[in-house]
Amino acid sequence: MLRLFHSGRINGAWLAFLGSIVVLGLLIAMLAWPAGSEPSKTPLLVYCAAGLMTSVTAIAKEYEAESGVPIHLNFGGSQTLLAEFEINKRGDLYLPADNSYLGMARKKDLIAEVIPLASMNVMLAVKKGNPKGIKVLDDLLKEGVKLSQTNPDAAAVGKLTREKMEKLGRWEELKKHTTVFKGTVNDVAADIKIGSVDAGFVWDVFLIQYPDLEKIPIPELDGVSAKMSVAVLKSSANATAALRFARYLSARDKGLKEFERNGFKPLSGDTWTGTPELRLMSGAMLRPAIEETIIAFEQREGCRVTRVYNGCGILVAQMKSGQHPDAYFACDSTFMTQVSDLFLDSTEISTNQLVIIVKKGNPRNIHGLKDLGQANLKIGVGHEQQCALGALTKNMLETAGRYNVVAKNVKVQSPTGDMLVNQLRTGSLDAVIAYASNMTHNKDELEAIGIDIDCATATQPYAVGKESGNAQLALRLLDAIKSGASKERFVKNGFHWQGAPK
Amino acid sequence: MNAPHADMAQPQLIRARSDVPFYVAFGILGSTYVFLIIAMLIADLRFTTGPHLLQALSSPEIRYSIKLSLISCTITTILSLWVGVPLGYLLSRFQFPGKVAVDAILDIPIVLPPLVIGLSLLILFQTPFFRALDTLFPITYAVPSVILAQFSVACAFAVRTMRITFDQINPRGEQVALTLGCSRSQAFWMVVLPEARRGILTAATLAWARSLGEFGPILIFSGATRMRTEVLSTTVFLELSVGNIEAAVAVSLLMIAAAVIVLTLLRVFGSERTFGKAFEP
Repeated sequence: MLRLFHSGRINGAWLAFLGSIVVLGLLIAMLAWPAGSEPSKTPLLVYCAAGLMTSVTAIAKEYEAESGVPIHLNFGGSQTLLAEFEINKRGDLYLPADNSYLGMARKKDLIAEVIPLASMNVMLAVKKGNPKGIKVLDDLLKEGVKLSQTNPDAAAVGKLTREKMEKLGRWEELKKHTTVFKGTVNDVAADIKIGSVDAGFVWDVFLIQYPDLEKIPIPELDGVSAKMSVAVLKSSANATAALRFARYLSARDKGLKEFERNGFKPLSGDTWTGTPELRLMSGAMLRPAIEETIIAFEQREGCRVTRVYNGCGILVAQMKSGQHPDAYFACDSTFMTQVSDLFLDSTEISTNQLVIIVKKGNPRNIHGLKDLGQANLKIGVGHEQQCALGALTKNMLETAGRYNVVAKNVKVQSPTGDMLVNQLRTGSLDAVIAYASNMTHNKDELEAIGIDIDCATATQPYAVGKESGNAQLALRLLDAIKSGASKERFVKNGFHWQGAPK
Repeated sequence: MNAPHADMAQPQLIRARSDVPFYVAFGILGSTYVFLIIAMLIADLRFTTGPHLLQALSSPEIRYSIKLSLISCTITTILSLWVGVPLGYLLSRFQFPGKVAVDAILDIPIVLPPLVIGLSLLILFQTPFFRALDTLFPITYAVPSVILAQFSVACAFAVRTMRITFDQINPRGEQVALTLGCSRSQAFWMVVLPEARRGILTAATLAWARSLGEFGPILIFSGATRMRTEVLSTTVFLELSVGNIEAAVAVSLLMIAAAVIVLTLLRVFGSERTFGKAFEP
């Protein structure tokens, strides 16, 4: 055992050592102090491009005050941040300075939802007062004019500048006259501000951050712009909260306003509500295929989707009388065309085949349209005006030249295929013309007889309302409907998958 | 020892040449560096103004980063000494298998770019064990990560310094203590350590200064989260990246001021009179 006392005094070295323990303890206590007062809500970790710090910090502060959810902003270069969360697989949102980084993140399967925010243009900047009198692009090639650029392989501005200048055949000479290539666009702006170079290519939003800069408008850079979006990370353990903040960032009356204040051009965003409500009008036939997808979507987004399922003719009539949904999923493209002025471009998701459905064993021996004319046959079809099914059936029968023969056997016209199938099952009908998908749940009792005519196929398009205040949300629902899990549900329900954009 | 003797012995034979050119030459060469530093400081000062400094000081984010910087650097320094003193002592006094390898390993943090240390830490914390530890006791992106990042680099400097210190202390003292009946531990605490106080002070200074300047590993391993893992070097980076050069410079000057104050305090308290007394056996 060590003797702590030496001639009646405590050993000085020991005292110093013990002292260091005490000091360490005190310091740790000082650091731990504020941690105790942190709000109990799970914080969100946001990887944010350093150049967006001003806007995003302000928005995050406002959101924290409003929601009580602490936002931890982690700033850095877009590429560096990407590498960070690729390694540590944590965090909730990623906000790079240009969408190209999202492409990379997507390739590496690191991100889920992407919501557009704003855009900014590349500009030629000089120091306020333009001491070198630079007016046109050619002035940059003059002797004594020092040009700073970002490395085209490292930063978005450089990449965009190079692309455009290469197209104009000006890149090589510009490159030759560039005094320095920097790693980030902020370095270039700082170069101009400090005066170490005379000109540089930077974002136009820098005019607000750097009041010492001046824009030289040159036609060569017209329309050279970068788009920014926020993406939800796949690693997020708290995707609903992350999406909520992402919606706040991208809301036209919240985050986008702040971006606009800082010089960005805001892209179209939704209106802010904590729990948004999406109105979806959908053909009734689609319900079994999309219901599960919608429930999962609601849970993840923390939103409500109000579904109006009905025959498409009825839905179109409702829309024409002034009800404008955020999104519309039609049974057939003909019912989309009728209201196309209300919607943005539509996306075809699936197709569905018209078939003749009979009871198992086919007691009336029906093998095609030609057999539907036999005496005492009770047939059910879709209502010609109320639904796509009826309209398609009519069109198909006319094409086949059998409309009149079949019409005299038609005992009932129903607004949905499901109703027809029910009537067939109760025995009040012998055959119905409906979608293949209408009988997927009654395969044991029923039998389908194919109709070999081209126009016997219905195509189901999805479109987002032009005036919708929830257009971005509706587009994310489209993404959910286009996903692999959703595809399985469509196929299981007898649909053929299209899924590709038009 | 020889030169003055020679000078005195032959004053008449060779006319003593003036020492002035020597001093002037050395003075000029030496002062270029000092002037460079002063010139940079003046340039910095010209780029910022009193209001900028006040503005920087009044920002809660910057105040937090000052506090975090000072505390984390001090914690790192203490931890570095706790590891550096025993490790330096072992390396200096004992031969053991694998000593060459240990020596080489200790060079890695000094040689590697700091960024690589940060990246390596980040990857290390993705291994199952450290991941589990991280969930139990949050380190990555939290304050402990700042200290760990600083420690990973600073400790290597503390170890090196302590090793050289112990190398220069004549082992005779401890040997005498041992023959007089001291145990190894007693000899260390009562004889070696008091003699090593200058080295400890240097090691502490180096570790502290290293930690304050640490940037790359912290950016990667701790992130640059305001009010959480933002230290002064991160503040400079963040302010610079939004074009706020004035604030970046103001924070840089604060860093310089903090460093000068702390290092001076350390020297005063570590001077023979005060520090020496504490270590007196």
